[in-house]
Formats: sequence, structure tokens, C-alpha cells
Amino acid sequence: MVSETRLDLKEAGVPARISPSGKEQDALSPRAEVSEAVIRADGVTIRYGEFAAVRDVTLDIPDRQVTAIIGPSGCGKSTLLRAINRMNDFIPSMSLSGLLTYRGADIYAPKSDPVDLRRRIGMVFQKPNPFPKTIFKNVAWGATINGYRGDIHELVERSLRQAALWDEVKDKLHQSAFALSGGQQQRLCIARAIALQPDVLLMDEPCSALDPIATAKIEDLIGELKAHYTVILVTHNMQQAARVSDLTAFMYMGELIEFDVTYRIFTKPSKQRTQDYITGRFG
Amino acid sequence: MTTHFVNLLEELRRRAARMASLVEDMVQEACESVIDANEALAGRVIRRDNDVDTEEVAVESEVIRLMALYQPVGSDLRLLCAVLKINNDLERIADCAVNVAERARHMERGTLARHRATVTEMATFVRTMLRNAVQSFAVEDVDMARKAFAEEEHVDALYEQIIKQIVAEGATSSEGMAARLDVLSVAKNLERIADHATNIAEDVIFLATGEIVRHTDGVPLSSEG
Repeated sequence: MVSETRLDLKEAGVPARISPSGKEQDALSPRAEVSEAVIRADGVTIRYGEFAAVRDVTLDIPDRQVTAIIGPSGCGKSTLLRAINRMNDFIPSMSLSGLLTYRGADIYAPKSDPVDLRRRIGMVFQKPNPFPKTIFKNVAWGATINGYRGDIHELVERSLRQAALWDEVKDKLHQSAFALSGGQQQRLCIARAIALQPDVLLMDEPCSALDPIATAKIEDLIGELKAHYTVILVTHNMQQAARVSDLTAFMYMGELIEFDVTYRIFTKPSKQRTQDYITGRFG
Repeated sequence: MTTHFVNLLEELRRRAARMASLVEDMVQEACESVIDANEALAGRVIRRDNDVDTEEVAVESEVIRLMALYQPVGSDLRLLCAVLKINNDLERIADCAVNVAERARHMERGTLARHRATVTEMATFVRTMLRNAVQSFAVEDVDMARKAFAEEEHVDALYEQIIKQIVAEGATSSEGMAARLDVLSVAKNLERIADHATNIAEDVIFLATGEIVRHTDGVPLSSEG
């Protein structure tokens, strides 16, 4: 079965931030011109050996929006997410067919440089994974090894501010990152990803190891981050997808069942399987 | 947990349908009490209003409880929203039925006789509208809900006709004005019941399709948040 074809973003009312002429659009004007997709999957199938974890998925991820991918365990959502910055390359049996592009460039082209790709497409993982270094060095590390020539202190401060962590850590930048709470560590990881000035942020269950208060802070942060970054969020938590995302993709058994603006997915989904999943009838 | 929630939703749906049935009976009896000048029947309608008020509060509390505890989405969310609104309309319809029944208690028969045919016709259309709206909720049928709209213009036309007749009578004689106002009040309340029945039918369309058709002559407004 062929999965759902790509969503017509303009028809779906996805607001544009930048028009082709470069002028900012009113984000509240829902039928404004729509910027083109940042990530585009066209008939993408991902296999681990013989097993197809993602099957023939076609979808467009729009610029400067939060797109959530939901679905039960084993539906292929994390596999698809990790394929976007080639994190699955570390799994020897993985193979990908179809076309997966980032701003028009084939992510899996032989000449594509995964390290450069991961600079542009950052990732935040399920569990906070700070380096065993100071808070400052955690944020500065990626930029430093990439030969950043600007003011590193300014970069660290800006990244921590964007990650809504600056006020909490500004007086202890040279303490170990492990001294931070789980929620702070996760925001530190977001700051670390931001410091590389990426274009896209992939988030794989970023709140699953956090308490409700830390989760709320990350969710608020995601809402703020989309002003600067395209965010793609994999989550088990449907209420979280409903709260923070502009678009939601529902996957089931490797297939993309439905992709639409979040409001519609959670009030009047067009597919029965989506309806059954979001209302807890299965999964 | 999900099975439990589904069962609670079904119980709520049945409860709202039972309340709709009770209100439908009240409207039927209120109309009969006026047309047949049956004071005993009018008293019965008035007494049943307490039951509807109590049930309205109970249904609303249950909807709020389910929303708070289960954070429903999709068709479950639409059902709770629809029940909340339909519940309110049913209570208002019951109030209108009581108003009609109260007029029946002291309706002046001579005045009523001149308007009985129009009031009877209006009551028939209103009851049909309400029947279709309530039935469409029970079986979640969009076509049946749309049928409920169909009679609304007849009701409006008959209401206008009664107003014109009463104004014309008033121009020729000032006697019996109170009785004429009773007839006008009955017509006004029937017209309101028709409006509430339309609201219910619109909520059934929302429940079934997710489309908001209020204020649009049946054409969905953009329902994006």
C-alpha cells in the first residue's frame, strides 16, 4: 500500500514566515504564501536487513514549523527521524530507498557529507546526554571543534538564552553539567545543538525522561525555537504533539497513515486508524 | 482505561438521548395543553421542568469531569462538546415548553379559537423539527439533521402570520389584548423551540463531521483554530 501523499501545505493553511520576495508574512494569516519544504521524503523505505521499518513514506516538512510524528512503538517514527540526519548510518544492516532531501539536496547522495549534514540538522535525544565537561564547554564544544571564529562567550550566552537556560546557569558556567537537573540537562543539550546554528532540530522523545514541570519548560521552548528553526518532534505523548506542533504525522506499522495540520488531526482526522489511535482505541 | 472511558461516553450519550426524549414529550404535551385547553396536562409539563433542570446540571458535570480526567480528542472530544451544547439547548426547550404550558392555564378560548389552526400547524412543524433533531443525535445521522433545518422557514412564516393577525385584531379592537398576547407568547416560544432544534441539528453535524455549520445556511465555516 502506498502511504499518504504529501500534504498540500498551502491548502492546509500552514503559515509562511518568509515569502519568495523575502518579505515577512503575517504568521496569523493562515492562507499566506507558504515557504517550500525543508525536508522532503519521496517514497522513502528504510529497512533493517529484510525488515522494512519505514514503508514508502512521502511527506514534506515545512520551514519554521513544528512537525510532530506520532504513532505506537515500532511504527517507524524514530527510524524516519534518524534517517533525516543519517544517524541510522551507524546501523550496518540499514538501507534506504526512495528520495530524502534537505533543501532540495539528496541526503543520501554518495557525495553528501554526513558530518556537514548533522551541523545543519541537529538532534536532541530522549535522555539528556551532556558531555562530562562544564556547562560552558558543553555548549562551546561543537563550535570550537568546527573552527568557530566568532566570540565564543557571546555564542554560549546566546545559545543558553535561546534554550531558556541562561538565567539558571549564568553564575555556574564552569561547573559540571552533571550537577544540573534532568530538565536543565535537556535544555543544555538543546543549547549545545543550537550553538552549531543549525537549520533543523530533530527531537526524539525529548521529554520522556522529564517530570511535568521540566516537560512544560521544554514545550514552551519548542514553541519559541520555531521562530528560528524547523523542528521535527517524535513523541509518544499525544497531548504534547497537540500542544506544541503545527503539523502532525501519524505513522503505523511503517506507513504514514495521515499528515495534516495538528488541529485537524486531533479534532477530525480523516482516517479511521488515526481516529482509533488518538482516541486510544489501539496502540 | 480506554474501554472504561468508551463505556462512560456511551452512558453519557444514552443519558443525553433520554433527556432529549423527556423534553420532546414536554413539548408535545405543552402544545396539546394549549390546543385542547387542557390545564391538567399543562400542570404536568410545568412539574417536569425540575427533572430537566436537575438532569442538565448532572450531564454538564459529567462532561466537565470526562474532559478533565481523560483529555479526549477526535470524535470523543466532538461528542463531549456536542453533548454540552445540546444539553443546554434541551434545557432551554423545556423552559419554552413550560412557558407554553403556563399560557394554556389561562388562555381565553374565544381568542384561541381564531388562531387555533395556525398555532396547531406551527406546533406540528416545530415538533417535527425537534423529532428530526433529537433522532439525528440518537443515530448520529447528518441527513436527518439537515431535515430538521427544512421546516424552519415554515415555522418563521407561520410566526409572522400570527403576529400580523394579532396586530390587525388590535387595530380594530383594544379588547382582549391580554388574550392575544397569550397567543403571541405561545407562538414566540414555539419559534424559539424551532431555533433550539436547529442548534441541536447543527451540533449533530459537528459531531458527525467536525464541520461548524452555524450561521452559514449549512455551508461549513472554516473551523481552524
